[in-house]
Amino acid sequence: MQKNILYISLAAIVLHASACYKSNLSPVPTNLISDLSAFNTKERIEGQVRATYAAMKNAGLYGGRYQIFNDIRGEDFSNDRTNVVTGFDVWNYTPSNSSTNSVINHWARAYFTINLANVFLDGMNEKGTTVVGDALSKNYQGEVRLIRALCYYSLLQLYARPYWDGNGSKPGVPLRLKGNTGQDDYALTRSSVAEVYQQIISDLDFAEQSLPLTNGSAILNTIRAHRNTAIAIKTRVYLSMRKYAEVITEANKIVSASAPFTATSGVTHALQADIANVFKPPYTNTESILSMPFSSNEAPGTQNQLGYYYGPSAFNGGNGEYSLSPTGIIANADWKATDKRRTLIITSGGKSYLSKYPTGGLFTDYAPVIRYAEVLLNLAEARVRSANTVDAKAIELLNAIRTRSDPATVFTAASFANSTALADAILIERRIELLGEGLAGTDITRLGLPLPAKPGVAAIPPSGQQYIWPISSTELLLNNLVVDN
Amino acid sequence: MRKKLLLLLSIVCLIGQAQAQNRTVTGKVTDAGGMPVPNASVIIKGTSAGTTTNAEGFFSLSVPPNARTLVFSAVTMTPLEIAISNKTEVDATLNTSESAMQEVVVVGYGTQKRREVTGSIVNVKGAVIANKPVQSFEQALGGRAAGVLITIPNGVLNSPPVIRVRGTNSISLSSYPLVVIDGIPAYTGDFSGTSSAGNALASINPNDIESIDIAKDAAATAIYGSRAANGVLFVTTKKGKSGKARISYDAWIGWSNPQRLPKLLDAFQYTDHKNDALRNAGTFNATTNFFALTNGPDGQPINTNWYDYVYRTGRQHSNSVSISGGNDNTRYYFSVGYTDQQGIIQKNDFKRISTLMNVDHKAGKRIQIGAKVQYSNDQNNAAVSSGSLGDAFATAGLGRVPLVTAPNISPYNNDGTYNYSGALIGVMGNKQGQVGFNNPVIQLEQNRNNSELNHLISNVFVQFKPLNWITLKTLYGIDYVFADNEQYFSPISGEGFSSNGSVSSFFGKNKRWVWANTVQFDYIFAEKHSVSLLGGIEQQKSNFTGYGLNRTSATDPEFKNIQGGWTTPNVAGVGIGEDYLYSEFGRLQYNFDTKYFLTASLRKDGASQLGANSKYGTFWGVSAGWEITKENFWSGANLDKVFSSFKLRGSYGKVGNIAGLGNFASLSVFGSGLYGGTGTVSFSQAGNENLTWETSTKTDVGFSLGILNDRITADVGFYKNDINGLILNVPQPPSAGLPTDIPQNVGKMYNRGVEVAVSAIPVSNKNVEWTTSFNISYNKNEVTALALGLDQIVSSTGGLENPSITKPGNPIGMLFVTRTAGVDPATGRRIFINKNGQQVYFQHVAPAGQFRFAFADGTVAPAVSSADAVVYKNTNPKFFGGFDNTIRFRSFELNALFTYQLGSYVYFGTNAGLRDQRFWNNSTDVLRKWQTKGDVTDIPKVFFGDNISNGSSFPLDINVFKSDFIKLRSLTLSYNFSKNILERAGISNARFYVTGNNLAILTDYPGPDPEVSSNGNGSSNFGIDRNTVVNQRTVTVGINVSF
Repeated sequence: MQKNILYISLAAIVLHASACYKSNLSPVPTNLISDLSAFNTKERIEGQVRATYAAMKNAGLYGGRYQIFNDIRGEDFSNDRTNVVTGFDVWNYTPSNSSTNSVINHWARAYFTINLANVFLDGMNEKGTTVVGDALSKNYQGEVRLIRALCYYSLLQLYARPYWDGNGSKPGVPLRLKGNTGQDDYALTRSSVAEVYQQIISDLDFAEQSLPLTNGSAILNTIRAHRNTAIAIKTRVYLSMRKYAEVITEANKIVSASAPFTATSGVTHALQADIANVFKPPYTNTESILSMPFSSNEAPGTQNQLGYYYGPSAFNGGNGEYSLSPTGIIANADWKATDKRRTLIITSGGKSYLSKYPTGGLFTDYAPVIRYAEVLLNLAEARVRSANTVDAKAIELLNAIRTRSDPATVFTAASFANSTALADAILIERRIELLGEGLAGTDITRLGLPLPAKPGVAAIPPSGQQYIWPISSTELLLNNLVVDN
Repeated sequence: MRKKLLLLLSIVCLIGQAQAQNRTVTGKVTDAGGMPVPNASVIIKGTSAGTTTNAEGFFSLSVPPNARTLVFSAVTMTPLEIAISNKTEVDATLNTSESAMQEVVVVGYGTQKRREVTGSIVNVKGAVIANKPVQSFEQALGGRAAGVLITIPNGVLNSPPVIRVRGTNSISLSSYPLVVIDGIPAYTGDFSGTSSAGNALASINPNDIESIDIAKDAAATAIYGSRAANGVLFVTTKKGKSGKARISYDAWIGWSNPQRLPKLLDAFQYTDHKNDALRNAGTFNATTNFFALTNGPDGQPINTNWYDYVYRTGRQHSNSVSISGGNDNTRYYFSVGYTDQQGIIQKNDFKRISTLMNVDHKAGKRIQIGAKVQYSNDQNNAAVSSGSLGDAFATAGLGRVPLVTAPNISPYNNDGTYNYSGALIGVMGNKQGQVGFNNPVIQLEQNRNNSELNHLISNVFVQFKPLNWITLKTLYGIDYVFADNEQYFSPISGEGFSSNGSVSSFFGKNKRWVWANTVQFDYIFAEKHSVSLLGGIEQQKSNFTGYGLNRTSATDPEFKNIQGGWTTPNVAGVGIGEDYLYSEFGRLQYNFDTKYFLTASLRKDGASQLGANSKYGTFWGVSAGWEITKENFWSGANLDKVFSSFKLRGSYGKVGNIAGLGNFASLSVFGSGLYGGTGTVSFSQAGNENLTWETSTKTDVGFSLGILNDRITADVGFYKNDINGLILNVPQPPSAGLPTDIPQNVGKMYNRGVEVAVSAIPVSNKNVEWTTSFNISYNKNEVTALALGLDQIVSSTGGLENPSITKPGNPIGMLFVTRTAGVDPATGRRIFINKNGQQVYFQHVAPAGQFRFAFADGTVAPAVSSADAVVYKNTNPKFFGGFDNTIRFRSFELNALFTYQLGSYVYFGTNAGLRDQRFWNNSTDVLRKWQTKGDVTDIPKVFFGDNISNGSSFPLDINVFKSDFIKLRSLTLSYNFSKNILERAGISNARFYVTGNNLAILTDYPGPDPEVSSNGNGSSNFGIDRNTVVNQRTVTVGINVSF
């Protein structure tokens, strides 16, 4: 009897202990945050704003590759590695629908960032605004809409015909403004180029009105958007649309009437005395309107880093993917040997290389998105092209850039036979000043110039199919409403 | 010396026998049913003298006076010893042994007599996989079991083989079977965090395995419910047997070599060929752009064979000692093993120290207790990536580097220093930006990618029988895999260059516990109704924690571990996860008079990985069997004279699969990161709260039979497996911007097939025995549905190319390539066929007025790309199996195992690289390139930089080949030392053998080995051979001794 009681109690203990632990069936991850609580606190909300920047900073996007792709579509760089992973096909104008590292990845990364912005905007409407209050909510929404605008802008530059072609009537890219979080039918047609530009401008206008005048510190004024950031980007966007009057209107908001040119309200953007300071730590100067920050624990990652592409191994341990073409801008005779910007070029093994991004190791130099020098040149060019005159202020703006690095060369009205000569000089100045900062490609396409011939590569006329990239093959496969270029 | 001693002893022994007076003993040998047993062997115990019975079972034998006992034995019978004393007539009745149809098989939470099994289960004896030059037992299973396809994916030591039980049963989850070791579901897969491979199952010394039972159909697997869809491998380790302690020692040494490496251009051919390509491209320049030979330190042109630096003859050895024994109450088995194996790639090593202790004890009549501790330390070493573990395009990949690197440069400069320039190998005399990727010699000599696994599998059980027909059992087990990973990339190596050296140490801690409580009722009613009812509850909990440190930029090149001086600290290998499975299950087994059999299993599982709305699932299987030989009409028709058994069986059931599903796959979550030094919260995973099991509805019918006392046995099975609710990470248009594809239960697929296995003993007498077994399996796989709006899944290889496609109406993982139509003899241009079926002529560099892509009439054509790819060929073998023969002649034994696969294709992507016209070295195939008008060849005119015409840019049909093969998987010749000689030396058995593995292959496949998988266990990207390290050919010499 006693034995039986013992057995029964033992059996009871075993059965009890082996019962299901319900909580084990619904484990809560300890290193992740549930979608249900992502908008519960100000910290998480601001964390999402930063995450949207971080997505844009992805080295496949504005953290490196977007700039590189635009640089190497121009004529100033030589491809030395014939590696499609590092843009050989972009350089020789042959990326295909399935080019993973250019066509497919850029498309996916830009839209991933756009969706983060959209998910955030939806979440703020539903819940977030009540958590952080209206004022902060507007700031944050302004920031992510600015990022969304930059992403759409990057897509238009690569995958769509320029705005001048049919006044924006050509196919742009799918315009997505709702956050996607689950299963749905995501087939969507390409909006027209004009419609996408309209959204970009609308986002940037919203950002201009919503963003604070300053973020309070040099670092935050460089790596996060404030009002003047939105305005500066608008000058670039309008220039790409050839809406020169709007470029002038926007630029005038942050460019003083006369030299020395500065922004008179908000963050006081101005040219640095020495251009080299722009590309040196701490990178947080008033000239750098928006840059993508990197550090040893926020490294750009393999085969994405600006310094790895442009620096030879002997210089910074880079891979010298692209040297400066001996027939490119460095051959320009008007670019004086004494020009300080020539100090941003080094030679190694008989080739010239751009040394704007000198930091070796993890290549943690900040990636510039837009800086004040470009705004000045945008304004100068818009003034020339809108009035078709040898505009005095345009020359003044051009001189601001040139004489900073080459005080001996001062342009005057007499330097230019006509407005075209002045416009060409501004373009040359852009190639010198903004070399390796991701503007060469768009400067060619927005003006309808042919993609230049390079050794072994024929020029592509503006009407050519290779003038723009094909659409991602993955998109074509999964979104049957999208048509290829 | 020992041999001589044995010889001497045997001579002494023979002389002793010759001196005595002999007499004659006669008798008859019959089986349990009174039938005579022909060909039975009758031997005087302790000698080799003996005879065999005639057709009527009679024998006559001359025996010396000192002979005391006769030993009777026959195939499939249990040997019997009978004392002679003074008798002149000795009859023997032999019982059918516990072999073949009588043996016990593991069926999950218990065992069953094979004769009573109604499910489809194959048994593989431990002996056939022991003493093989493998790291883990499943590598030696190939060809042993019908319906079980084993693929050795590459030549990297200890990479887990691909196992498919009755076809591929999942698309995006794992198709790898559940492995249950002594009742505990074990960790499987690669646990190395580095570029070395670390198969968890290599923890088990194959010599410690008693048997492996592979359950294939729903009836046999349903007791494992949600994990049963891919089949179940039950591994049973060795236990002690009653009797005095038995000590066994097994040892072998071996040598392995790479086989069938592609033939490459030498330095002279390379230099000429590449210059030719530059000239054709119009970019040759005698001062700035050319290839050139460089003289080495001996003044002769450098002509490097990179295989010599990357591959080697691997030396291997293994030693195992086991002690086992016991008495009626207690049994024990202890073993210790050590193996040290070198791979065919330099620095790729595997070392294992393993121990196993199995003890069980009967404490009185009612209680039985037991425990097992199995521990191993597995050291998996590699210098650097092999490019064979899913990383086909790793620039450092050792499968690829010797193919790509120019042969006209040396790993060393003439002054003996390493040849490198930045991250790349230096170009020497070539005027090129690059003529190779990394310098493999630097990588091999400087870098480390090691992973040390400490693996503990242990369990304890208590079994209590309150009544004779009730058994209560509780089994608690643990499986711990602790992975210590270490990576070092030297600052002068390709991978470490940009970070000025990099070192990581990271630890992965995998802990699992399993607790199963069962009650079993066994009762026989009215003598003929045998009922067995099992009920149980099981829990399984697994936890993973990973953490570590990565440091870059060495402050001194001498610092090579994380403890040294470095500039940056970063995290490495950080992760955390857990999963939990709670199950209630039951099984009813019934048989009437061992004639009619019924089994029904039911299991309800709850899994933590699944969606909040769908955590639980119920799985079941029913089966029936009919032993016809027991029927009166059968014996009435005299069929029982032929058939010793003939059983029909059928089963039906529904089981599930979540193998490989992420711990939190069903959740929508935000992850963390940094932006400008401050924290981010980023939408990182799109979940699905309705996510649930993949289910397999399996139907199986078959029969097994034994003829002539099971001297011939056969098993034939037909099966059909309909898989529903396949979890697919349904890709969304990239423009939707989702962070991850959403897992959904959407796909449908089926496998149908036939399996035939036949074993026979055609010859068996005292001197010669021949046993043979043959199996063949036919499997047809077809995907019938994917997701709504998703009509195909394109799967990548190494993340860089997409040669695989899964599309309804086709088998999983078809090859997806762009078609070609040869080379135009007039111009040497590659002819593509675009998606519209038009021929498009391609030349990498088009002369003025022509186009790169043009139609036959010269007009411009749209560029051909992977967008023009078509669903091309099947990668799933239609037929596969094995053919095993053992011939024993006196003390010699010859075993030959052939395995074969038929009816599938492999994408030989490596071939595209071998013909790539960038700086890459080429195979000698390019020597037949098109050169002048009228040349008819398959190699187009070469243009430097052309990576399109050869398939390097996107996959082409020219690199798809039939992968049919027959392999001589292993050939063993062994010699068993005569027992009576050994006994005097205190040895009970001694065997010496020589084995060759992978000695020969019959195939038309042009690559090294059609048995390959660059994507490892991947379900939807199988049949790819891309830059993979070749398989090895191994010869071993070994000895087994027991005392």
